[in-house]
Amino acid sequence: MPRFDHYRQFQELPPEEVSRELRERRDEARAREVVLVPELDLARTAWHEPPHAEAVNAATFALRRRMNAYPDPSAREVRELAAARHGVTADQVAVGHGAAELLQEACAVLLHGGGELLVAWPGWGPLPELARRAGGSPVAVRGEGGIGPLADRTGAETRAIALSSPNDPTGAPVARDDVRALCERVGERVCVLLDEALAEFLEPGEDAAGLVAELPNLLVFRTFAKAHAMAGFRIGYVLGPAEMAERLTPSFSVNAPAQAAAAWSLELGDAVLARRRAAAARERERLAAALHGTALSFPPTAAPFVWLSSAAHTGREIAEHLGLRRIKVAPGAQWGDERHVRITLRDSAATDRLIAALRELA
Amino acid sequence: MARNDPTDTGGLFIGRRPGTAPVHYASEPEMGSPGRRRIDRAVAAFVLVVETLVCLTLWGPQPVAWLWVGSQVDFHAGSVTLGIAVAFAGMIASLMLTLVLAVRLDAIWKVVRRAAGYDQREGVLSRIFVVTAIVAAVAFGCWFLILEGPAPSLAPQ
Repeated sequence: MPRFDHYRQFQELPPEEVSRELRERRDEARAREVVLVPELDLARTAWHEPPHAEAVNAATFALRRRMNAYPDPSAREVRELAAARHGVTADQVAVGHGAAELLQEACAVLLHGGGELLVAWPGWGPLPELARRAGGSPVAVRGEGGIGPLADRTGAETRAIALSSPNDPTGAPVARDDVRALCERVGERVCVLLDEALAEFLEPGEDAAGLVAELPNLLVFRTFAKAHAMAGFRIGYVLGPAEMAERLTPSFSVNAPAQAAAAWSLELGDAVLARRRAAAARERERLAAALHGTALSFPPTAAPFVWLSSAAHTGREIAEHLGLRRIKVAPGAQWGDERHVRITLRDSAATDRLIAALRELA
Repeated sequence: MARNDPTDTGGLFIGRRPGTAPVHYASEPEMGSPGRRRIDRAVAAFVLVVETLVCLTLWGPQPVAWLWVGSQVDFHAGSVTLGIAVAFAGMIASLMLTLVLAVRLDAIWKVVRRAAGYDQREGVLSRIFVVTAIVAAVAFGCWFLILEGPAPSLAPQ
């Protein structure tokens, strides 16, 4: 060993040398690192943003004021606001723990002792199971949202008909006149359960809730989980004949924060709903424009999701392709449809990512 | 133990304090035998003494030497200005050269101290510089005020 090598090993590296080494080490680590792409969940239909801050404020205020007290068992304020909004009386409104619970309760009441529930298919997924649990027999009626097949299939065993507007998963709305025609055609013996969970995405006046005032066999279910962005509150309401509304009212009241937030939304939330409706429409248009001229397409929709299909790929293939790009969608197989996928629309960044992924497929 | 350990700072991790950056070596140094480290300690002490002496020359011998050179220039050239200029330039030049030498000695001292087994992160030159300046100022004060006395115009009547 040369004479001074022992001492040279104690010489520190100059800062530039240290930085160079650290940079090289960092570059090496980065090259080895798997690039993490966050998952984009476009399979759920709950609104992706939090509720309006004032709705949260109302809920918080209710919590602070009423922590030690039971909430209003009749949810009077929400019922009155909903009644005024839809042109019915307050006793025609029942407030429950979300539209799903109320639908379940309606199935239990209507199908008690058996009978058929005709379900416009594809439709809201859990409905057949709700009918079975209630003791009834679900019958899927394919009709692409039209009411003709439903009316034709109605028989002596039919107790109720369930359909949604806008339809989940296709997004197709059911015209107000069609609802009226269906109710009149099947008669008072058969109850029509109209799920309007997504009705806030329709233009004002296009929903059928107001028909409850004139049709004795119509139940309309509304939720705060979608456009109101309050899925976590678990609150919804049903509009129908007073006797039916009373039977569907839950035995134990909806919690106070949920009632307060729902009341705020009904009273003051229209501007927020309009913004969300416009946002959903904007993203739909962007997606439609981006897919124009490709093998991918979706039918006209009023909902914040699209029922997408491809001339070249099955729904499963589309879902797998998007899944590899960390975009989660609902495959149509859930509804027994191998051609489609349901894709929820979120904000513009999500649509950008979706378009980029779909272009690779197209 | 690392000197930026939170236990050093009352449990608060306040980031790296000045002078606590780890020393980066090209590779992990291999320590010498105990005997060699003892020798290195002695060498480090010797280098420190030399470094101190070198710094001390800045405050006495070097200025005096350049003043003598300046006086010689004045005597031979008959120009006070030239004598002062040469003395001043010479002092600046030798100051620079001395600092270069001191920096090198300080680097050697650090390396030898590390070889002797000390976790030596910083040099000692700045402290030596300040200490020698103080020593020189005190010595000059003693010489000026006690041994030689001030000039006649400043002397007490």
